[in-house]
Amino acid sequence: MNLLALLVDRAKPLTLRQIRQELGKQYPDSDEAARAAFERDKAALREMGIPIETKTLGGDAAGEVIYWVNRSNYELSDLRLTESERDALQLAVATVHLGAQHGEEALWKLGGERHLNKSSMSVNIGLVDQNMGTITAAVMQRRTLNFEYKGESRQVDPYGMLSRGGFWYIIGYDHLRRDQRVFRVDRIEGRVVAGEVRTFTTPENFEVVAAVPTEKQMLAAGDGEITTATVLVDAALAAGVRREFGESFVIREREDGGVEFAIPCANLGAFRQWLFAMVESAEVLSPPEIRDHIVQWLEELATGS
Amino acid sequence: MVAKKKSVARRKTAKRRTAKSRSTKPRKAQKPGKSATKNGSANRPSTGRSRRGPRSAAQRVGGLLVMLPWIMQRKRVKITAMARQFNLTETELVEDLQMAAVCGVPPYTPDALIDVFMDDGMVIAEVPLVFSRPLKLSTAELFAVTVMAQAAMQLPGADKKGPLATALAKLAPLMPSGADTIKVQLPKTRYVKELLAAVNSGERQEIEYFSPATQRRTNRMITARKVFEDSGRWYVAADDHLSGEDRVFRVDRIESLAGTGVFDQLREVRDDELPWFSESLQQVTLRVQKSARWIVESYPYISRTDNADSSVDVTMSITSTHWLGRLLLRAGNNVKVLKPREFKSLKAQTAKAVLARYQSASTEV
Repeated sequence: MNLLALLVDRAKPLTLRQIRQELGKQYPDSDEAARAAFERDKAALREMGIPIETKTLGGDAAGEVIYWVNRSNYELSDLRLTESERDALQLAVATVHLGAQHGEEALWKLGGERHLNKSSMSVNIGLVDQNMGTITAAVMQRRTLNFEYKGESRQVDPYGMLSRGGFWYIIGYDHLRRDQRVFRVDRIEGRVVAGEVRTFTTPENFEVVAAVPTEKQMLAAGDGEITTATVLVDAALAAGVRREFGESFVIREREDGGVEFAIPCANLGAFRQWLFAMVESAEVLSPPEIRDHIVQWLEELATGS
Repeated sequence: MVAKKKSVARRKTAKRRTAKSRSTKPRKAQKPGKSATKNGSANRPSTGRSRRGPRSAAQRVGGLLVMLPWIMQRKRVKITAMARQFNLTETELVEDLQMAAVCGVPPYTPDALIDVFMDDGMVIAEVPLVFSRPLKLSTAELFAVTVMAQAAMQLPGADKKGPLATALAKLAPLMPSGADTIKVQLPKTRYVKELLAAVNSGERQEIEYFSPATQRRTNRMITARKVFEDSGRWYVAADDHLSGEDRVFRVDRIESLAGTGVFDQLREVRDDELPWFSESLQQVTLRVQKSARWIVESYPYISRTDNADSSVDVTMSITSTHWLGRLLLRAGNNVKVLKPREFKSLKAQTAKAVLARYQSASTEV
């Protein structure tokens, strides 16, 4: 802290020799130990967001290194937030939980306070992954990401990120697949390593929200051709499916309140999961190949144990 | 999801282990650029950093560089209030401020030192210019602000042109270019707005609620206490006048809602008081293969063991046999009940029950 105060106060670059003179006994006497202590302080300040600039001198003082800090590099300029703007930020931070304290720290720096009282509403957007810090920094600074996914080494230019349904997704150009792909952050295996800054450009018209398929679209997403299955949903659950898919998916309503829906199906795994969430309250009526697949799957399970 | 009261302890345990993260490391005090390793925020907002062991000198200095400009803007702050604000004990705060009090610029004459003194429970500080300006926001902090503000903008009653929007506009020049393509999408669920209004007014609501576990609809009176979103779903914590208990309802399962004109006294519910799963619920242990890992990811569990063959054994509470049967059916051969014994044949039974429907002629087209 005194090192920082000194470098700021002197407002001109200092050599380590000068720094040691000024700080006196705060650094050890031996050259080696003093340099180690100085390097440690320098690294700690950098970690806090205060970069110490260095330059190696030539001429008479050849080889000597000078150090200085540039206040505009680390000091926050006055944003002139109004009282109500600060209040609004405080309320947002109090309501939306990230599982990390960065929001509160940002508030303090902006001169605000975190709300300590309870609120009538809360939203939880979990920043739960060990890699989240590396990933968010890389996406914000447009660095390429390297990680293992589904057993393969991926190199991904992250175009964007989306939080939806309790998961975080990365959307980017996958160099392995040579195409745009979506990755779920919690499914990344091991550590993420970020590459150089600005090594890629995001395609024009890139739209984050549209790039990540919804559950409904997942039923239709697959390598196979998209088939439409007719699914009968009993009255008890029909209203929910109707809300989920919309009126355009309704084929007809039965007298008993059951509803027949036209459900896109290309990915049988996703389709089964969706269907069986309704257990015996839903039934595939057609086409025969999907109905047969479901029957076969059930028969295997019925005799399985 | 309807659960009984007195369940806070379990809920905390179970939820904290909800497996969005595979890591089991304890949460560390956060440094810029590093995010917390664990969730748990739904239950513990703003309870702050949970520290293990003493704080490092660098952590303390980092904290001071945030606190000093903050205190400068206020001149005088109560020690208790400030400690609470920064998640420190009063002793820790006083120690940190004492450390700051010997910092300054050579030759360290009093006028060049940070002038902090504590008097009558107040902190009073005069900070030399060098420590008076706040530090720039780190990338992680900017990320947090943009994500939180975006989410807040999607909440009912948000003013798209209000102070939050103008605050964000002022912060925009600080954002790195990649911040534009980081988006948050909250579920759009009907009745969230109405329920929030009910929390604030105390008006009792009559709801029609569908429970998939029992396949039944019930009409009940509730007094909503808190509306919250977790992992992509909206919930309401309420006094349930039907059961006489505090319960949590999934908002997307509320089929209808109407005000009753009866107003109850307002009561606030802290996040860690939310009733979730009852202690008395039945527990099961499942062996989950890698391809059915969504089970571990989607539901709170009590404990998990990772096996050498990349399968996982999880113990979880179940709300009903029907619910478990449904889970087993969806996961098929990628999941197996290890215990209790009585559920070992549940998958086959459930499959047979559904199969019966396909085999009966009555439903054929």
